[in-house]
Amino acid sequence: MLDIVSLSLISVLIGFLGSLTGLGGASILIPILVILGVPVKEAIAAGMVSIIATSSGSAASFVRDRITNVKIAMYLEMFTITGAIAGATITAVIAPHYLYFLFAAFLLTSFIGLRRPAAFSATEPAIQDSVSRWLNLRGSYFDEAKRQVIAYRATNAIWGGLSMVVAGLAAGMLGIGAGAFKVTIQENILKLPPKVSSTTSNFIIGMTALAATSVYLLSGLLNLTLVAPIAIGTTIGAIIGGRVLNRLSDISLRFLFFAIVIYLIVQMLYKGVTSV
Amino acid sequence: MNLKELGSGETKLETTISYLLIVGVILSLALETAGIAIFYRSHGNLDILLQDKSVFIQGRNFFSFLYQLFARGPMQNTGVFLMTLGVATLILTPFVRVIASALYFAWKRDNKYVLITAFVLIALTVSLALH
Repeated sequence: MLDIVSLSLISVLIGFLGSLTGLGGASILIPILVILGVPVKEAIAAGMVSIIATSSGSAASFVRDRITNVKIAMYLEMFTITGAIAGATITAVIAPHYLYFLFAAFLLTSFIGLRRPAAFSATEPAIQDSVSRWLNLRGSYFDEAKRQVIAYRATNAIWGGLSMVVAGLAAGMLGIGAGAFKVTIQENILKLPPKVSSTTSNFIIGMTALAATSVYLLSGLLNLTLVAPIAIGTTIGAIIGGRVLNRLSDISLRFLFFAIVIYLIVQMLYKGVTSV
Repeated sequence: MNLKELGSGETKLETTISYLLIVGVILSLALETAGIAIFYRSHGNLDILLQDKSVFIQGRNFFSFLYQLFARGPMQNTGVFLMTLGVATLILTPFVRVIASALYFAWKRDNKYVLITAFVLIALTVSLALH
């Protein structure tokens, strides 16, 4: 078993990767904690706190740099919070070994839209539906890798919102930010650029985790010798990630995202099979 | 590049949220780091304790947990108290940014987003008050 210093250092790397990919860190952290011998429910509870740390740490710079769209985030938060409260309640009563398989199954949803071209079309922003237009779900950001301002408009606000209920449900159940799923929804349904999707997902996941935290607090699953070093490490990693993200190309981010997701699926399936 | 022309168009809100998040995160990190340092001084090592119930935090709900935290104070274990306070600060940070957002949209009289942020705030408050 690790000590607090080693866990802090590992968490820096996890926070960095979570921030870059929009996964939020907990998807990477929970399997690692489980491999190290932490009970899965305690790992999930620690994951929830790490999500809040990663989200706040990286969102500060993403919002300051105007990449995160706060209006789109707040609209989507209505849906994710509703799902997260329901999901966390289910986890408190479900048998632990089901959670491994659910975790792996949920990560598979990251492959939705894999065959879609990686580059976002910046020349023709999507035509908005009436709800998206009414909510003024649009914006722009400066892409440092492309050295140009990218303007965008969100569309399909209703379907995007309803899909976010499912993302929130999974997030609450599995103690993850469900960042992979949220990024996919924002890119494929709301038609947002990858960097806006990733950073807006980062912003939202903290709120989703917060909604579920009370359930874990009530269950007495928050271990301070796990939570404190993880919070410190993931926050520092997320802040570094927040400073690096806009310099990377969309293709690099996408490659990193899928490499991590594939690794995690294998780990969780192995753990699920060996624990039955 | 003029940042005011970018983002969602809500420049003041974005700046406020950015500062709130930075302050909340720095305060939380400082408390947790101080807590770990004191924990090391009193325990003589930095092992992760999976069985010791004194390092688990629990409350009927988040608000009663906060009340008990301040009502009891540090007692004997200052390290654990500071770590708990750091975690509580971290949890409160996104909650405070929702309150700030609701107030901002109320000040701007943007009724659509007042309703949206109010819904988020109420759902969050209810979830944190659940037991």
